[in-house]
Amino acid sequence: MKAVVKSNFRKKKAIQGILSILPTIIILLFMRFYPIGEAIYRSFTNWNGLYQNDWVGFQNYIDIFTNSPFWTLLRNSFVLLISVPFQIVIGLIIAVLLYEEVAGWKFFRAIVYVPQIISAVIIGYLFRIAFGLNGPVNFILRKIGLQFMNIEWLGNSASALFVLVFCLTWFSIGWQAIVILGGMAKLPPSILESANLDGADFWQRTFLVIVPMISRTIEYGAIMSIVWTFTGTFAFIYSITYGGPGYETTTIDYMIYTKFYQASANYGFATALAVILLIIILILTFIEMRFTNKASEWE
Amino acid sequence: MNEKIKHKTTKVIIFFALVILTISNLYPLLFVFLNSLKTRPEYLTKPFNLPNLDQLAWGNYVTMISQFQILKLFRNTLIISVLTIILLLTFGIVASYAFSKIKFIGREVIYFLIISSMFVPVQVTIIPIYMMFSKIHLVNTYWSVVFTYLGMFLSEAILLMTATFRGIPDGIIEAAELEGAGYFDILRYVIVPMGRPAIVLCIIYYFIVTWNDLFTPLILLTDMESRTVMVALASLISRYSGDPTFQFAGLFLAAIPAILVYAIFQKFIIKGIGEGSTR
Repeated sequence: MKAVVKSNFRKKKAIQGILSILPTIIILLFMRFYPIGEAIYRSFTNWNGLYQNDWVGFQNYIDIFTNSPFWTLLRNSFVLLISVPFQIVIGLIIAVLLYEEVAGWKFFRAIVYVPQIISAVIIGYLFRIAFGLNGPVNFILRKIGLQFMNIEWLGNSASALFVLVFCLTWFSIGWQAIVILGGMAKLPPSILESANLDGADFWQRTFLVIVPMISRTIEYGAIMSIVWTFTGTFAFIYSITYGGPGYETTTIDYMIYTKFYQASANYGFATALAVILLIIILILTFIEMRFTNKASEWE
Repeated sequence: MNEKIKHKTTKVIIFFALVILTISNLYPLLFVFLNSLKTRPEYLTKPFNLPNLDQLAWGNYVTMISQFQILKLFRNTLIISVLTIILLLTFGIVASYAFSKIKFIGREVIYFLIISSMFVPVQVTIIPIYMMFSKIHLVNTYWSVVFTYLGMFLSEAILLMTATFRGIPDGIIEAAELEGAGYFDILRYVIVPMGRPAIVLCIIYYFIVTWNDLFTPLILLTDMESRTVMVALASLISRYSGDPTFQFAGLFLAAIPAILVYAIFQKFIIKGIGEGSTR
């Protein structure tokens, strides 16, 4: 009798469990798994969103690799990745400074993260204004006699990419600093006390004592930032350069948007780009998971 | 003695380094605000000066509200953010409760599948989602954006909340069950109060993310009536001929809600990021 009650109770709980996850499963089926499958399938067609939907095999992929600005897009993403080491090094220094808990450090810690709270649309527009031909940056350069640097910053490939890298770095430093500070908080304070910071040894202590101890945190921050550079920069590019001049600052994710809005929409081509982006992200995620597994083996 | 002075000097240097950082992070907002109170010629000739205090150009703000109708855009964005957060929490809390505390067949496999969908960027799924919504006439509705957000954020929120709910002792739940507490009683009196830090973090974090987002509403909301504040601003600033000081007024207003929420709840966010839960 008791066993029956118990088994009924278990059954009831199991049903409750399944019903609890049902809404989530339904939403993810429609909003994630179906669209991923659909994107992969359509990437092998010449779908234009309407009537045209013929199987074309790998044609879209061949077009992307041989007859499209794809390699420029990939180059641009890699150039934007230059921002990652700058974010980490500056974020690390800020985290070490915050760790000293000088007067008002909690206020400073809150301020460090502020760029992340401002919409990319706003930040991007500010950078576009700042580096415009008659913008504040050129205004200062003229005032201090650097006439030759008074250029159309967003008008050519190298300087436009520089502005983007600068912007992404400014935006991400605070995130890195808070992540690294979180990593440092997990260390026993006694280790870091011996590394308290003054004078000439600051750099040695930061890079030779602290960095090895929080290498896991830095790896995590680096990979998350790399993934983000491939998938999260759309609004910055949209509001600073529109991917231009030409395709000189367009990245893969931005190109998906461009292809989606073109009059002669080729969704097959756009979804093939999406699949390539997905593969890049999966590889990066796999690397991150390898790191995580390695870390849990050490523990 | 010497050591002490040295130590003190170090602290002072660090303090000033952090002050410089503060200026670097806050000056852009100040720049936007000060220049939003100038007229166009005033901005173009003296971008770094204070605005003329006798003739502050409040007109920029008046036009923002009366003609650009920024308050209507705020309302649209707020509806989308609030609906997203309510559904995200409703579905997320029950699912996380099940994943952390209820045993059933296939739990681990399903959890793994749900979490692994987290890494798929929205750009991959957006075209099929757009076509699906256009078939059922949901494009240009708030729901299209809300459901896309649910797809993007549910797994992340579940990861965060399941981790927190696992820390709730089983004994409390068993004791409540023995006293006759049902499924919803346990959610209401045990899970939600004890999982509060994760739930609060979700509310704040996803409010800021959805308020600031551009990509998803840019694709799904194309008509003037339903678009969000960031979509409207993006189209306003894309007109090169526009008046920059007027645009500054819009940017400043649009930045306020997220910054206000952050200013009040920053403790939760800093803790959440430091523990490695969100990006």
